[in-house]
Amino acid sequence: MDDLLAEFVAETREMLAALAGEIVAWEADPSDRARLDTIFRFVHTVKGNCGFFDFPRLEALSHAAEDALADVRADRRVPDRRLVDAVLAVIDRIGVMIVEIERGEALSDNGDEDLIAVLEGRADDGLSFAQIPGAMPTAASAAEQRTIRLPVELIDQVMSGVSEMVLARNDIARRMQAMDGDSGIEAPFSRLSALIAEVRDAITRTRMRRIEGLFATFPRLVRDLSAELGKQIFIELENGEVELDREMIELIRDPMLHIIRNAVDHGIETPTDRLAAGKREAGMLTISARQSGNTIHIGVMDDGRGIDCDRLAEKAVAAGIHTAEEIVAMSRQERIELIFEPGLSTAEAISAISGRGVGMDVVRTNIEKFGGTLEIESTPGEGTRFLICVPLTLSILPSLTVEASGQTFAIPRSYVEEIVSEAGGGLEFAQVGELRYVTFRERRLACVSLGGALGLEPAPVDASLFVILRLGWGDLYALAVDRIFDHHELVIKPLSPGIMQSGLFVGCTQLDDGTPVLVLDVAAIGYAAGIPRELHRSSAVAARGAAPTEREGLRVVLFRDLTGERRAIAMSAVEQVEHAPAMAVRNPGPNAQIVLGEDILPLLGVPEGIELPARLSVMRLGDGMQQIAYASQKVLEIASLNGVVKRVNGQPTMVGVTLVDGETAELVDCHALFASHAEQAPGARSLTCRLAGEDGWMRTFIGPIIEAAGYRVVDGDEPADVVFLDHGEAFETEGVARKAIRLRSAPGKSGDADSIYRYDRNALMAALLRAGEELAA
Amino acid sequence: MSEMLLVVMLAGRRAALPAVSVNSVIELGEVTPVPCAAAHVAGLAALRSRPLTVIDCAAVLGVATDKADWRRQRAVVVEHEGHLYGLMVEGADDIVAALEEPRPLGADPGPGWQHAALGRVETEAGALLLLDIAALVAGPAESKAA
Repeated sequence: MDDLLAEFVAETREMLAALAGEIVAWEADPSDRARLDTIFRFVHTVKGNCGFFDFPRLEALSHAAEDALADVRADRRVPDRRLVDAVLAVIDRIGVMIVEIERGEALSDNGDEDLIAVLEGRADDGLSFAQIPGAMPTAASAAEQRTIRLPVELIDQVMSGVSEMVLARNDIARRMQAMDGDSGIEAPFSRLSALIAEVRDAITRTRMRRIEGLFATFPRLVRDLSAELGKQIFIELENGEVELDREMIELIRDPMLHIIRNAVDHGIETPTDRLAAGKREAGMLTISARQSGNTIHIGVMDDGRGIDCDRLAEKAVAAGIHTAEEIVAMSRQERIELIFEPGLSTAEAISAISGRGVGMDVVRTNIEKFGGTLEIESTPGEGTRFLICVPLTLSILPSLTVEASGQTFAIPRSYVEEIVSEAGGGLEFAQVGELRYVTFRERRLACVSLGGALGLEPAPVDASLFVILRLGWGDLYALAVDRIFDHHELVIKPLSPGIMQSGLFVGCTQLDDGTPVLVLDVAAIGYAAGIPRELHRSSAVAARGAAPTEREGLRVVLFRDLTGERRAIAMSAVEQVEHAPAMAVRNPGPNAQIVLGEDILPLLGVPEGIELPARLSVMRLGDGMQQIAYASQKVLEIASLNGVVKRVNGQPTMVGVTLVDGETAELVDCHALFASHAEQAPGARSLTCRLAGEDGWMRTFIGPIIEAAGYRVVDGDEPADVVFLDHGEAFETEGVARKAIRLRSAPGKSGDADSIYRYDRNALMAALLRAGEELAA
Repeated sequence: MSEMLLVVMLAGRRAALPAVSVNSVIELGEVTPVPCAAAHVAGLAALRSRPLTVIDCAAVLGVATDKADWRRQRAVVVEHEGHLYGLMVEGADDIVAALEEPRPLGADPGPGWQHAALGRVETEAGALLLLDIAALVAGPAESKAA
């Protein structure tokens, strides 16, 4: 509530400041109608606002002044000297009270009865009231230094100034690279860069507002709605302190209102129904907000009757959207998602509250328009949960840049499901009329050529690079592009209406060098190109109809590594396949690195002393956070592993060997690759390890291998996940760790069976691995 | 009162734009073409960090232009309804003072010009046609009621 109160104080103070001149003028001429109206509006607003807060004195005063002024306005009363004085005294007292409220002091309780009596016209002439001298000036000076109210345009101006500084900095950076050598300005330049980044962060934060301001309006809404419907609903708000871009707050307001109205109207039952269902009489509506990385998750949860998916299904059949057979094959979740079909609603009757105007399909489309998603979960009889995910800020959008017909475009990354290339093999096409389909994970996806969709030139026949885009719920399609450049964090700017009218773009952005790039509205492009809306559903039905006789094996990419061996790697780990010249490889051998685009990645699959082919096929592997590269001669095809994987010894980076289409292939152990080669993520995520024993030896000999295994070595009394105890070390040190590994200084089996010889590296690593696995379990 | 006017060369003729509306005159750099946009939208350029919609004024007038290269073309930057536009002209050099209020065109200067003109204004540099920024931004006459 603090936010609201601060707003109230600031607003009232602003009005007081503006009023100062009016008061003097009104005092000089009490019959001045315009001045009278201004002052009336002020006390009226104050009275209205303090209804939200518990300030009875403030309310009584402003109420009395409002009544008196209303009489004057209605010519029921003549504004005599005493009335004018009384009104002015009220305004002064409001000023004093505002200061007290802001300081958090209790409102002083000096009687206002005299003043109110004068205002109500029932005081005798003899009664006088105390003037508060100098109230206004102190009110103004005390607070103005603490907060200022800025027009949003000014902040936007600063923001765009900072964006320009970033562009200028990038320009300088490029020139410095071209100079190639010590110019002596690198250090000040990097300092400048850091400062610019700092300012940019700060200015981005000024645009942030607590979501509380939006949430605070819901209890009232729910109260009014439930009263109207004869329901009892508790509303619970969680985590209103999550901050969100102020424009984003405006954008989610309507979708949230719609969902809340729906929950109150259709979700939560009437008290009698609830009692009959064995629930508490009053329904519960929980609205929560959480931040996760750059996304805000907003949940709206009710404990009502849940979505009646059978009714939805009936309606879908009745409306001719689906056939009865399709419905039968659908899962419950798929049926629930029918609620997003245009023109479907479970409401028995059209009510005044949820109405019929917009459906959930529109709500979802609106959320998706600014890069958000809407998900729904519902359990019959238990309730429904809506989850809205929106980006933290509108202005910075993680994007993928692609090329079509020689022109660069950006795609908001939230839509990108995957990038597939025909170069990887295994893509299966089908031509149906004018539409080409590609089979991707058992689904036939419509291919849309980006160049063709934009009318740039006829679609190239041999398009082989596809961005798989996911629109809302699984409406997937494949966008054929000529090239894929890079991921960027781009600042999105609005486009002029003349360009927006084509409906193909959502905005414009600039690359580092300042070139403008259009940001694609991939949903509009897809639907305009005629991809079916319910694609995933009908195909899901078809897939189930075909009856899965064979258990789905691990999908793998088969490739020939640099030594000519046939190998396989889990397809989900391969983010991209790129071609790179041998030149891009630094330091060939086990510690090789490769330059791919703007990234320097560790390169695996390069044995010591091998001669590199002129061109390598490099697979970018990712675990969602880090990337490493794997070198190959050639990527062969995509296959499904159904055979047994047999372990082989002496191949630490291989899971084992298996048969694919009658030929052997070694399956690469992605876990081992990432465990050994990805940069260790710093921070609390990694397990901690303590070394107890002869300090020098432990630190120097054991420390590095433990750190390389991903542990963080801790000192002192900090609790650790694993402790290494040197021979003879007191046992009680074990208490501070969850796992202990004991070392002994003599080889052989002698002595303590549980301990490990300090130079038995394999046993050591195995023990560490086991400890890690047990801890993770 | 004498309004200041920017004299531009457009389709081989001299015309005027109100100087108060003019943000700056720039030489265009890279112009990114915009697929599926109206014909008179030449593309997007950037004025520092703000996008600039480049308007091919000659196309608005219905005069065919050589679309080969927009680079090094002059553009008058104006702000219209919150967006920046670059009005592509052949030249923009002088600023002159208007000698009187603009008045109706009188004789028809040709359909394209008629559409894009606010009126005729007498200046120190002779009589000039006063261009209508809103009409230039909106595009050729065909797109509206003729």
